[in-house]
Amino acid sequence: MNGDIALRADGLGKRYGSKWALRDCTLEIPLGSVTALVGPNGAGKTTLLQLAVGLSTPTQGEIRVLGGSPRHDASGILPRVGFVAQEHPLYRGLTVDETLKLGRKLNPSWDDGVARERIERLALPGTQKVGKLSGGQQAQVALTLALAKRPELLLLDEPVASLDPLARREFLQSVMEVVAETGTTVVLSSHIVADLERACDHLVILNQAQTQLIGPIDEILASHRLLTGPRTDPATVARVHDVVRESHTERQTTLLVRANGHVYDSCWQLHEVDLEEVVLAYLGQRSITTRSFERRREAVTA
Amino acid sequence: MTWAAWRLQRTETLIAAAILALLVVILVPTGIEMANAFHHDGLSACLGQVTSGSCDEAVHSFTDRFHRVGGLVDWFTLVPGLLGVLLAAPFVLDLEHGTYRLAWTQSITRRRWLAGKLGLAVACALAAAFSLILLVTWWRAPLVRIDGRMDNGVFDSEGIVVLGYTLFGLGLGAAVGAVWRRAVPALIVGFVGYLVSRIFVDVWLRQRLLSPLKATWKFDAPSPSGLRHAWVLQEGPSDRFGHFVQPKVGACVRAAKGGARLLDPGCLSHKAGFSMHAVYHPASRFWALQGIETAIFGAVAVGLIGFAAWWTHERTG
Repeated sequence: MNGDIALRADGLGKRYGSKWALRDCTLEIPLGSVTALVGPNGAGKTTLLQLAVGLSTPTQGEIRVLGGSPRHDASGILPRVGFVAQEHPLYRGLTVDETLKLGRKLNPSWDDGVARERIERLALPGTQKVGKLSGGQQAQVALTLALAKRPELLLLDEPVASLDPLARREFLQSVMEVVAETGTTVVLSSHIVADLERACDHLVILNQAQTQLIGPIDEILASHRLLTGPRTDPATVARVHDVVRESHTERQTTLLVRANGHVYDSCWQLHEVDLEEVVLAYLGQRSITTRSFERRREAVTA
Repeated sequence: MTWAAWRLQRTETLIAAAILALLVVILVPTGIEMANAFHHDGLSACLGQVTSGSCDEAVHSFTDRFHRVGGLVDWFTLVPGLLGVLLAAPFVLDLEHGTYRLAWTQSITRRRWLAGKLGLAVACALAAAFSLILLVTWWRAPLVRIDGRMDNGVFDSEGIVVLGYTLFGLGLGAAVGAVWRRAVPALIVGFVGYLVSRIFVDVWLRQRLLSPLKATWKFDAPSPSGLRHAWVLQEGPSDRFGHFVQPKVGACVRAAKGGARLLDPGCLSHKAGFSMHAVYHPASRFWALQGIETAIFGAVAVGLIGFAAWWTHERTG
């Protein structure tokens, strides 16, 4: 079973000072998948990816990447993992060619053919300083650096956040081409849900340091339904299905549910949902439960 | 790794080289001039002999002529600190710009990265310090033959202490930068820390590294040969046991021409019973003091660099 899992977190937590950046995170990411790690800023996406690449160590729990500990087996794991950090840091004073040379010098598994071919295809000027390139070009250079390692697992932290829509599309296109060619496992984090649906087949929703939903995107879409009907208490529905989010107007109630089997009740109208609706529902749900928790606490203190 | 470390430190290394080149440009012409003058005036024949009037005059005119440049070179004691913090800059910039996240996620471990980066900085710092020592020692050779090299201003840039100072500057810059992660303020604080430490050692600590020697001699006799080129901490009239005293000179004042008054040394020595007393480090202790001070700065530097590496290794990320 271990052979099918690219990344496994077990009760993983990371605390900075008194604040938990990630807590009780348990998940498995299968080999060969393209996983979108979604959540608002500060949800713990960066923390999870940095733990996965050994840039930080867990406060609790453990994380295993390609069967090893990214921090303790660093020399065994690092060559097999490609990582592009948030805002794709690069040595701005180095030229594109020098950046590739840096990659060649620091990676025994470096494939110069892959790097050259990508740089040529992207028409990046080799003698140009990296700091003078556009944001999209810099992201491509950083991706090239990660890809030329021939990684088994590619981790991308907010790779498209700083890019304009065109560069964003081109970047995701590049990632999808690589996946098609090499079958590399990819985990990419984003707070922008649009575009991800085409690029990814698995989804992890992180919010306020905790995982909310994990699974293949097609299963997620198949199991979630939007119900609309006359205004009512959703308790009946909640007995059978998981109500992710409810909203009410004077006459109407709208529920987003994770359906356990079919929804038979004829008073509800069923609608398909898209990925963005599901993600927003889960992110919104969290804030509802937090509010009710605070109300409870107020009641206790009163 | 070596190429990467070198490429990322190239700018700072070139600046360090430019600073040294500037010093060469300043010092080489006056150095040649000074060496020629020393030779031409026949000063080497004067030194180490019983002083005669013409020799004194030649020495005086020589020291007058080069006094100003010599004073300038005393400021060169700031240069090791400057070179040290400068070479710490690439290490701190890597943390400030977040590029360490790129470096540490290539195939090499962060331990190797830190060792390579700091190791190269240390090597460059030592090379720069060694060049500085050679340059200043060559330049000042004639002045050292006249005045010795025990005075703070000279001691600080001769021998081997400069190696320790430069590493110390590097260590301070790296240690402050590892915690602060801002290059400019960290390097400024590092340099100020360097200055404060150096002043403390120059003014207070160095004279206490070894217990100084004492000498007492008759007031009208020449000072003992051990005091030649020595670092004199205290010197003055004393009783014959070497306790410093405020001499009562009334009886030994002689009237001279034009109403001036002179002290008669023979009278002070024999009738008033005064001696001279000095507390000093002899010139022969030069290497012992150099060795101790270099070891102190070197050990603190190693500790600071080790701390910077440890802190970065354990606390970053």
